[in-house]
Amino acid sequence: MSGLLQAMGISASGMQAQTERLRHVSENIANVDTPGYRRKIVSFEEIVSGGERTGKVRTGPVELGRGELSRIYDPAHPLANAAGYHDGSNVDLVVEIADAREAQRSYEANLKLFEQARQMSRSVLELLRR
Amino acid sequence: MLDQPRIMRLAHEMAQHAAFRQGIVAQNMANADTPGYRARDVAAFRAGLGEVADPMRQTRRTHLGPMQGTNTPEILFVAGIEASPNGNTVLLETEMVRAAAARSQHDRALSVYKAALDMMRTALGRGR
Repeated sequence: MSGLLQAMGISASGMQAQTERLRHVSENIANVDTPGYRRKIVSFEEIVSGGERTGKVRTGPVELGRGELSRIYDPAHPLANAAGYHDGSNVDLVVEIADAREAQRSYEANLKLFEQARQMSRSVLELLRR
Repeated sequence: MLDQPRIMRLAHEMAQHAAFRQGIVAQNMANADTPGYRARDVAAFRAGLGEVADPMRQTRRTHLGPMQGTNTPEILFVAGIEASPNGNTVLLETEMVRAAAARSQHDRALSVYKAALDMMRTALGRGR
């Protein structure tokens, strides 16, 4: 039973990490038109506590995308330089949507395993009935 | 207390193994996007893993007791999978298959346990 509880905890950590990733994706999408905004990238890492791996996962430090900022021609813009250009963001909507899809897919996989562990522990308890 | 019948102990071990495997699959799934993570699996279930063939007898209280076999199955790295560019070797599809296998092993073990329980009930004369 404790093994199953642990499995549920691990799946929950996976879902949490994917949620965090999705949060950053929505942040990027919301800021697609913000001048000078760099896309935020989260990577995952395994949680190690006391030198022992727990199997759980969490999001690592947030990094900024190193892609080049887009140049937007808009002479009327307050940030525009002498040539009439200003910096846009380096967010690519296609990449963000693909990332969101992947996060959703992983989230669902974790959810499915969580559900399965729950069903397994329920069928153990079922033995006690009758 | 009654000694647990062997078949029930076996079913217990089998269910435990399935639950352990489920935990490992959950780990793989949770780390499906962790850079450098290598997928793991559990060695197949073998009856009597927790038993020692010829246990030492304790003739004096201060002596060492009988050896306890380890009950946790061996964890192996899954080989032969091409890693994705970030060094991760988890494939969601194969993990789903493993999860289904763990589930069916768990169900099987519980059915055996339940059947043994029913037999004991019948022996007690309570019917089913």
